[in-house]
Parts: sequence; C-alpha cells; structure tokens
Amino acid sequence: MGTENPSRPSFPARPTSSPFAAPTMTPFSSTGPASGSDPTSFRPTPPAPPPQTSTPFSLSGGPVARPGLPSFRPGPPGRFNDPSVPPPPSPATFNVPPPGGPFQHYQAQQFSTTAPQAPPPRASSMMGQPPFQHPVNQAPAFPTSLPPQSHAPFVPMGSPPPGATPAPLGSNGPPSVYQPSFPGYARQQPGTEMQAPPPMHSSLTANQGNYGSVPPAASSPFLSHQGQGGYVPSPPMAAPLGIHPAQQQLGSGPPIGSTQGLAEVFSSLTMQTRPGTMDTLFDAKELPRPLDGDVEPNNLADMYTANCHPRFLRLTTNAIPSSQSLASRWHLPLGAVVCPLAEPPEGEEIPIVSFAPASVVRCRRCRTYVNPYMTFTEGGRKYRCNVCTLLNDVPSEYYAQLDATGKRVDLNQRPELTKGTVEFVAPAEYMVRPPMPPVYFFLIDVSISAVRSGMIEVMAQTIKSCLDELPGFPRTQIGFATFDSTIHFYNMKSSLTQPQMLVVSDLEDIFIPLPDDLLVNLSESRNVVETFLDSLPSMFQDNVNLESAFGPALKAAFLVMSQLGGKLLIFQNSLPSLGIGRLKLRGDDSRVYGTDKEHGLRLPEDPFYKQMAAEFSKYQISANVYAFSDKYTDIASLGTLAKYTAGQVYYYPAFQSAIHGEKLRYELRRDLTRETAWEAVMRIRCAKGVRFTTYHGNFMLRSTDLLALPAVDSDKAFAMQLSLEETLLTTQTQYFQVALLYTASCGERRIRVHTMAVPVVTDLGEMYRLADTGAIVSLFSRLAIEKTLSQKLEDARSAVQLRIVKALKEYRNLYAVQHRLGNRMIYPESLKFLPLYGLALCRSTPLRGGYGDAPVDERCAAGHTMMTVPIKTLLKLLYPSLIRVDEYLLKASVQADDLKSIERRIPLSGENLDSRGLYIYDDGFRFILWFGRVISPDIAKKLLGADFAAELSKATLSEHDNEMSRRLITVLEKLRSSDRAYYQLCYLVRQGEQPREGFLLLANLVEDQMGGNSGYADWMIQISRQVQQS
Amino acid sequence: MGDIFAWLISFFILIALLVLVTYQLMCLADLEFDYINPYESSSRINKVVLPEFITHGVLCCFYLITGHWIMSLFAAPYLYFNVRLYRERKHLIDVTEIFNLLSWEKKQRLVKLFYLIFTLFFSVFWMIYTSVDD
Repeated sequence: MGTENPSRPSFPARPTSSPFAAPTMTPFSSTGPASGSDPTSFRPTPPAPPPQTSTPFSLSGGPVARPGLPSFRPGPPGRFNDPSVPPPPSPATFNVPPPGGPFQHYQAQQFSTTAPQAPPPRASSMMGQPPFQHPVNQAPAFPTSLPPQSHAPFVPMGSPPPGATPAPLGSNGPPSVYQPSFPGYARQQPGTEMQAPPPMHSSLTANQGNYGSVPPAASSPFLSHQGQGGYVPSPPMAAPLGIHPAQQQLGSGPPIGSTQGLAEVFSSLTMQTRPGTMDTLFDAKELPRPLDGDVEPNNLADMYTANCHPRFLRLTTNAIPSSQSLASRWHLPLGAVVCPLAEPPEGEEIPIVSFAPASVVRCRRCRTYVNPYMTFTEGGRKYRCNVCTLLNDVPSEYYAQLDATGKRVDLNQRPELTKGTVEFVAPAEYMVRPPMPPVYFFLIDVSISAVRSGMIEVMAQTIKSCLDELPGFPRTQIGFATFDSTIHFYNMKSSLTQPQMLVVSDLEDIFIPLPDDLLVNLSESRNVVETFLDSLPSMFQDNVNLESAFGPALKAAFLVMSQLGGKLLIFQNSLPSLGIGRLKLRGDDSRVYGTDKEHGLRLPEDPFYKQMAAEFSKYQISANVYAFSDKYTDIASLGTLAKYTAGQVYYYPAFQSAIHGEKLRYELRRDLTRETAWEAVMRIRCAKGVRFTTYHGNFMLRSTDLLALPAVDSDKAFAMQLSLEETLLTTQTQYFQVALLYTASCGERRIRVHTMAVPVVTDLGEMYRLADTGAIVSLFSRLAIEKTLSQKLEDARSAVQLRIVKALKEYRNLYAVQHRLGNRMIYPESLKFLPLYGLALCRSTPLRGGYGDAPVDERCAAGHTMMTVPIKTLLKLLYPSLIRVDEYLLKASVQADDLKSIERRIPLSGENLDSRGLYIYDDGFRFILWFGRVISPDIAKKLLGADFAAELSKATLSEHDNEMSRRLITVLEKLRSSDRAYYQLCYLVRQGEQPREGFLLLANLVEDQMGGNSGYADWMIQISRQVQQS
Repeated sequence: MGDIFAWLISFFILIALLVLVTYQLMCLADLEFDYINPYESSSRINKVVLPEFITHGVLCCFYLITGHWIMSLFAAPYLYFNVRLYRERKHLIDVTEIFNLLSWEKKQRLVKLFYLIFTLFFSVFWMIYTSVDD
C-alpha cells in the first residue's frame, strides 16, 4: 500500500471527516495502545524520548481529542470502531504535530487530502466497501455527533484513566488502558471480548523496550528520525505509541485510535486509518503472535477423559460437522494429524496389554479395537461397539462381571478400557512372516567429493560409536556397500578377521557376489564391523573417482535387503552419473520459474526413483537420504526414495566436516538409536458416515486407507483429510481410532491404538471455536507443498491465502448480522495465529519467492522435511523463536530460574533487534546468533575468543574459558533439549554483514516486509480486505 | 462387398478395445475394493495400456485407409488424447500415486468406454446399412 500517497482512490472512504479524523485519532491513539501503529507518525516527530512524544500529542490533542472522542461513539450510528465522526477542530490538529519533518508532512497531507475526506472508518475504507458511501453516511453523523462529544469522551477513555483525554495520552500505559476501555466502550459483554486483548497485551509488553532497534527499511521517511538516539530503547509506555512495524506504512498519518467495543465470542482486530493517507492498517502490536509456541488443544479433556493425548492425534477441529452442507462451509482442511509414536514425556509410559492366548478384542464388523468408549451390557457378556453400534459377544477369556454402576469390575486392571492410548501385543494372526530383526544397511558414496568433504570419516566414527546402542540387540543386522563408478560389497562373515571387499563393476546387470554375509548379525560380527569402520576412511582417501553409480548401487542394496527389509541409509555426495537412474544437471534454471514447467524441477526426473521407492516399500525397506553436495544433487529425485518409504531427507549443503560434522554426528546418531517401529502399517478408522479420503506425508498407500510404513519413529507425523459420506450424521459423537501395527525392535509384534472421541456439532461457530491452528497449519503446509509439485509456487501461495480468506469470510458472515463489525477483522480465538502461520508458510523455504530466493535443492529438502515433521516442530520452523541473551550473559550472578528469562520470545521483526544486543534465532533446525553492530566488544571477545574481529562466517562457536561463554553454551544446550529430533548448528552473523545477514536472518523475519513478500501487518490488511469484499 | 468387410474388421477391433478398457476398469475397481494390491493392479493395467493405444491407432488408420474419413475423424480426439498422454509420459499408472489418481484414472477410462461404445454403435449401424444396401 502506498504509504504516503494521499490521493489514492481507494481512500475516498475517509474523506469527509478527514480533518476530524486527525484530531480524533490523536486522542485515540494516546489512549489506546491499539493506536500503536499510528505512533509511527509520532516517532519521527519528537526525537525526544517516547513518553515525551506522546505528550506533545496529548497536549495538542487534548482539546481536540475530546471533541473527537465523543463524536466517535455517537457519531456513526452503528460503528463503534469508526473514528469516522471526529469533530471539526482541524486547526487543533495542526498544532499538535510539533517539530518532526514527517509530521509536517503528514499534517499537510491531512489537511489537503484528508480534509475533504470523511473520517476514515479504519477498516472499511480499505476493505473495498463502497468507499463513498461511508463518507456520506458519516457526514450526516457529524453534526449529531458533536453534541454528545462532551460526555462521550469520558466513556471510552474513562474506564482506564480519568476521562480526561490528555491523561490517557501521555501517562497511561497504553496497553493496559486500551483494552479495558473496550468493555466500557461498547455496551457488550466484556467478558468474552477480553480474550483477545490479553494476547495483545502480552505481545505489547514484550515489544516494549525493543523498539529502539532499527526500523525496517520500509519506513523510510521515519528512518532518519529513528536513527536519532532518543527512541531506541523506549520505555514500555511510550513504546506502543511510538514505534511499530506497521508504522512503516503509516508514514504520514497521525495515529488513529482503534477500538472496537464489542464483546463477543470472537476476537477481533480493528483497522486504523491514518488520516494523512488513505491507508488503513492494523496496529502491529496488537497482532496476535504465537510467542508461546505450539499449544496443544485441551478443550475436550473434560468431556472425553479417555481421549488419547493430542501429541498423538490432533484434529483440525475438535467438532465434526453434522452435515455435508455444514462441512462445505468449513473452508479450512477437515482432517487429522497423527504422530503415532510421539515420545511421551519422561516418566509416562504407554501401557502394554496382552490378551494371550486369546486374540485381540475387536468389533466383529468394523474391526475397531476395544477402547474406553465401548459399553458393556447384559451382565458383561456383551459389549456395544462405539463406532458401529454392533452388539458383540465378549470372548470368554475377557469376561468380567459388571458392578452396580454397570462398569466392569476389573476396570482398574484394564488400561485399554480407561486409556486413550494403549499397545496390544499382536498374536500370530497379525504376522505375515516372523517379526523381522532391525536391519541397517549403509550405502555410501566414496567418490572424490565425498572423501574431500570429510563426510566418510564423520559417518564411520558415528556409526561405530552407535553400535552399542542400535536397537534390537542381539538380533540387529548390519551391512555396508560403497560405490563410485563401481560397487563394493563387504563380506563381514563373523569368522573373518578382516572384511573382504568384493567389487562389482558390471553396472548393467547387477548381481550380488555373495548370497549371505553381506548383511550380518551385528553381535556376531562385531569385530569385523568395527575393523571395517576403522579402515573405511583410509581405504578411499586417495580415491580420485568422480563418478557415481548411484542407481545400480541402489539396486544392489535392494537385492541385499529384499529378504528382510529394514532401514537403508544412503550417503550421497554428488549427482548420480552412471548406469540406470543417472540424472541430468537440470539445475535451477531461472527461465523456468513462472512458467508452466516450473514444477517439473521439483519432481523426480527419472521414473526409476519412483519405481525403486515402490519396490522398497513393498519389501519393507525404508530409505533415509543423507545428501552432502555443494552442487546440484537433484534432491527432488533422491528424496522420492524417502517419500514413499516413510524415510527422511537430511540435506547438508556443501558439507564440511569441520563445520557441519557435529550436526551430522548428532542426527545420524539419532536416526540410528531412536526407537523405531519396523514393517508397520497404519490405519485410521472412524464411524460410518465419515471417511478419510486423502493422506499426506511420507508413506505409501497399500490400499485406500492403509499406510505402509517400512520404518517409522517418533519424528514422523502423517496428515489426512476426511469427508462426509452421508448428508447427515445422526450420532452425537464421532470416534477416531488410529491403529499402528508394527514390529518393535525387540521382535514383538504390537498394535498401538489411539482412540479419540469428538462431538458432532450442528453449528459452524462451534467448529471454529474448537479449531486447532496447529493441525490446520500442518495440513495446510502439506497441501501447499504438494501443490508445488504440480503447479507454480505462486499458485501454491495464493491457494493458502485464499483458503484463509474464505474461512475468515465465512466466520465473519456468522456474526455480521448480529454484531456491528465495522472495520474490524474478526476471527475465532482458536484461529488467531492462523493468518500469521499462513504468511510464514508462504515465506518458508519450499514456498518462498521464486528463483534466487532459495536453491531448488534446499526447497525440495525443506519440503520433504515439512511433509514429515510433527506439528510442534513445524510451527517452530514457521515461526521461530527469537531470544535476546546479552542481558542474561551480562548478569552478575545467575540463579537457576534465570534461564527462564531466556525463554521470553520476541516478535520476529527487525525492529526488535537492538544493535547493542545479542540474539538467538532458533527455528528448531539451526541457531543463528546475531551480534548487534555496537555490541560491547567485551561480549564478542569473550564468546568468540580470538575470532571476534574476524569474519563471522568463518568463526565457529566453542566454549571458552570464561563465565559468559559457558553460560551461552548452557543456554544453547537448553534450547536444544526442547527438540531432540534435529541438531541445531550455530551460525554466527554480525549486523550489517551482507549478504549473510540477509539470507540467514533477515529473510526469515516473517513479520518484516522483504523483497516481494508482505510483512505481517500488510498481510493482515490484505486478508482483511479480501474478507470484507463481498 | 469390401465395405462390409471393412466394417466387420473395425467391429472386431472395437470389441478388442472395449475388452482392454474394461479390463483396466476392472483392475481399478478391484483395487478400490481392496481385492488386489496396488503393485499388481498397476502392473496389470500397465501391461495393456500400450496395446490399447496401438490398437486404437490402427483402427484410426484403418478407417482412413478404407476411406471412412468421417469415422476416422470421429476417432481422432481419442487418438490425440492417447498421444498426448504418451508424450507426457503419463500413460502408465504410477504405483506410488495410484490412490490419489484413482478417480481420475477411472473417469478417464469410463469416458473412453462410452466413446468406444458409441463408435461401436456407429460402426454396426454402417455395417448393417451397407449390407442392406448391397
């Protein structure tokens, strides 16, 4: 939106009152923190400290404001929000803006442009409502509004501070004041409304103090001002007023008070208009931010106490629509995200139930496993299936009498009847073959680039160190093959002392030189394996072979493993160049972007990879791809192997053992030692009338609803969408049951069952109320990434936006009739973060920008990762945490709970970066340590040692012998412990160090405008406009 | 007389095509009802996809050669569709995505089926017409 352009056509809405608006606004701004956005204008003006800033306003505004305020309320009949009717005292306004250049600017604008305009109803003008009408309506309001002015002012403002307008302006903490004002303001029930505000407050507070940081480039007019020292660390109070990301856009306008008075079941954001320009905007401080990370929904816990924990199964809304027509009005995805093996917190164990020698108790018709929602009748001889309502006989082994209340007397000994998550020991009929042992086969690229990067050494050491911890001792099997232009097998027979190398150079017709002994029992051949791993790096250190016969090697590995299945770990360092499956250097062609062929880059080039993946899945082989190349390796093709075999892609671009070694070590170790479920299949059942239709994630479908997962672990989640098959559901409750049948590493066949009950509702509002943003975002991201495989990036992004808009529009329609929504953007409390995550998703690596914004390999790797990660990890990746640590490091003494202060996350915007600070940006996959430009040299020196003056791109972080360094390491360790799936490597960057700072950090500050991407405030306006367009 | 033979031959080719398409549809239906696994289903279908394409190409040429250019024209869209699929390398069923594409594959084959039945009807009509004419 053009910030300063007063003459924009869209604005007309405000026209009439503009003169007024200005005044009106002022009072408001002062009062409400909401107006924070407006503050921008303020900022520039007084170079003086923030509080002062406000004061000028208040002073000048004081008189003006009052009139304005009153007008407010009464003025526009319906609208609470509309500042539209401000009274005339335009001159007053003028006076107000004191010194700042920008100010004058703005004033001028106001007068000239605004004056004619009506007071801008903040949002409405923007929204594309017939702009002109507004003014018209408002205009009449004017006169009327004036009279009431006198008393009116008190009301709105009154609640917080004394009615006097001036007071609120300067002195009252805007945040606090502002919110309370709402209830008073509107004559609505305050209670509900309040929900919304609190988050805002918190964010506000968080922001305060940080403002000092450099304003984003966008706010050019202000920049100069901001530069001035005064603002930098603004005191909390002032902060809201003075500084804001949103302000950038505001440019010239004086702040307009935003307030909405309604207290309803929904939360809302009010758009503010800056009088000087035609733009409307949201107060950036008010925008909701997920600074607490992912919050698991708990709203059903009381109603259905036996539900499984949300870490295992989350629905996009915890209320199933009762009819197809209702479902069609729910524009967000309707489905579930399942993480069947999520790690329970320390000390919590999943009960294991064995029915031996009988079989597992299941409904005879729908095959639902016995669960807490089944009801026992007829003295305990029968039970009614909760899913299909069939009356089943209780097997005689499972019989127990019912007590007086109709409960089984053995209820307490039966975890499957009280807990939502249990594991059954599966009897022989659940096996098609004897349970397989854990099998690990390593396929290692030993061409020259692999040797040079040092990957082989790190890998060999790591594997060796993990040998004791591989799951499934003593049955574990292990095998190795290496390849360059030929394929090398290793005979590891336990009777040998040295592994025997067997070379196959015929790439056309692959065969295995030995029928056995390529895959050996680890405990028997332990010595040979260790000898091999010790000698592996030296064996190939002089290898100068450039080629990579990846395809044939893959086939060979398949032949070796096809007997048992298991996990195939592929270490690939270059583009496959020989034999079947060789790939072209199709690279990243900038000309392809934006055309219909764009998506081809993200698809596997050679059908060989899909075929191999299908074969792997059939034979229970799961492929994990570790890619290391600094050049194009076609992750799109290689990743396919992982995609259909429930594997994972690890991508270390330009791997250097000195830099990335630790990350590889950690992640490989995690991959090898985490608890893994082998040869698994998963199915999610639900009652008649509902059906799961599409599945998203890394797996292969074996039948319409059966997911084949050759190996699965706690770091994998799967998403699915459901649809209603019947026009009307008659039941009150809908049940979902996820069953994962797998072989545990110990060799036992087990069934893990998660059961969940959710209410069926007839009201769309209820669906919104019980919506789960995390699950929705997870499904959204999977859908969007899948879309990039068949369409342009641009299309995928706009699809995300469109769905959010549709959903919010539908929600708005729910309430538009009973409530006067005016210019507010309304959303359910449960979805308050949805727009932000939508924005973050559009700016995430797989979806962002176009050519040049991310290399295609990184896009694909990130895409593969986002398709598998559980909700919590995904949300952290989308909206990473930003933490300031220098204060903690400088503290004289540290108490244990001081670490908590570290956990205070800051909104992800450049404004919050203080050039005197040290910040950690943590997206769950890496840490970025950002050193402010004027950070005290002492800190830098202590943390970096001798490197502190050098290029930070070459520096690494290691522990130095001083308190500060140790503390930093502790902090990093603490942050790492929150998510153990990945290792966060530390990148150091100094402010202003381009281009590193740009792509490492600035591009990831999702709230800032960057390149072609909109910032948070812009994005909200776009969405809000589209929502209000009818 | 020759005309009757031409129509007769086209009739048999059409029957062959119908059989091939119906077979593919049956495989897909079996897959949907979980009677066979996706590997089997896709390999069975993929085995007959090219024969189907070739047979239809032959039919089209045959009409042209025997001078029934209207019928040839009538068969052209089908042929064009096949050629396009083949050139985009989408003619074979992708076993990894078979369930996501199931509805599209089925729809496509159903349309083909009706198209063929319609052609068959025409061809029978002409056959009878020519024989009566003679």
